[in-house]
Amino acid sequence: MTKGVLIFAHNSTAVDYGMLAIIAGGLAKKHLKVPVSLVADTGTLAWMKESKTITKAKKIFDKIISIDLPYTTNNRKLHDGLDSQTIPFINSNRCTAWQLTPYDTTLLIDSDFLIFSDQLNQYWDIDSSVMIAESMNDLRGGRERILDKKVSETGIHLFWATTVMFKKNNESKFFFQLVEYIRDNYAYFADLFRFDSRQYRNDIAFSVAKHIINGFETTQSYTLPPLTTVFDQDVLIDVDRKGKLTITTDFENSGDYIASTVQNTDIHIMNKQSILRHADSLMRLI
Amino acid sequence: MDDRLSKALDFAKFRETLAIQRKTLKEKIDSKLTYGYNGGIFKIDRSLIAFVEVLISKQRTTDVPLIDANDNPVLVDDLVKFQSEILDRYFTATFEYLKEYEKIKKSRTVEKLLDL
Repeated sequence: MTKGVLIFAHNSTAVDYGMLAIIAGGLAKKHLKVPVSLVADTGTLAWMKESKTITKAKKIFDKIISIDLPYTTNNRKLHDGLDSQTIPFINSNRCTAWQLTPYDTTLLIDSDFLIFSDQLNQYWDIDSSVMIAESMNDLRGGRERILDKKVSETGIHLFWATTVMFKKNNESKFFFQLVEYIRDNYAYFADLFRFDSRQYRNDIAFSVAKHIINGFETTQSYTLPPLTTVFDQDVLIDVDRKGKLTITTDFENSGDYIASTVQNTDIHIMNKQSILRHADSLMRLI
Repeated sequence: MDDRLSKALDFAKFRETLAIQRKTLKEKIDSKLTYGYNGGIFKIDRSLIAFVEVLISKQRTTDVPLIDANDNPVLVDDLVKFQSEILDRYFTATFEYLKEYEKIKKSRTVEKLLDL
């Protein structure tokens, strides 16, 4: 039985997701000691060749799976500290992970999820076909809004598809087909589950699929651990040689920053630009 | 700004950083106390350790079903080996917790708290 990590990367005009995937993949490989594969579109791979990061990618990734760039009309406001810009967000093909993965058991992670521990190794053999991160833990604490916990104010529990672990079997195949169906009929499911349909979110599609598969019940099932998360208003300030990350967290865009450090902890850093600014320091840790 | 208010705000920032560091440390230790075994997941805590000790003292050492953190039964074929593993993980995590916690407790500035 093979196991490994899978990461999707589709560059946008503002974010080099290919580089993010190299960092996330390298850290995952180092700390979990399992192979890592990359799914990227031809444009992203062409940029990796042009920027010469493909050499690093070939060292880190067990397999590089080339696909066509998925069509998207999805836009997203992405912060970098107090600055922000609205950019295209290519995330609609995560449901193809089941077909694309080369592994029997796959840990699917977002490219902004940095693994610094072997904690997720405890979950490979759990008796469950699909597990999703149960929730997010704000690093600073107390900033989670209702839409970080539920799909809508009156809706079902929101799981975080930043980390998803699945075994390749019929149950997980049905799950990913259902995610695809929800994506294709997003407005209908938005009406049914009362969430905002204007931006496609994998977290919502995966949460709705899980709810349906569980028989429209909130049942106790195995989940992946909560994600330690810093929002995109927060800024990664420094990465030292021992892997200690210094992060400043903001409160409601006030610019009133509080500093904190994190070490040996898996962390979801939503400010992608601030990860990329420290790409060299992070690469040294791999 | 009044000097007293300025000092109070500085101290408030220090306390907030202290709270984040303590919270992050607790979450890190909690994750180290999670143990995946035979298809189930266990939270290593005092009650699991005590219960396993009771079972062993009653000579229930092989093929014992334990209820995991998700309320599912998981068969433990060798409970003595299981105990050794959970104790080892428990002490590794709690000694790290103690060491890191002492460091935080003694820090009196944000710089020391963050070890900058």
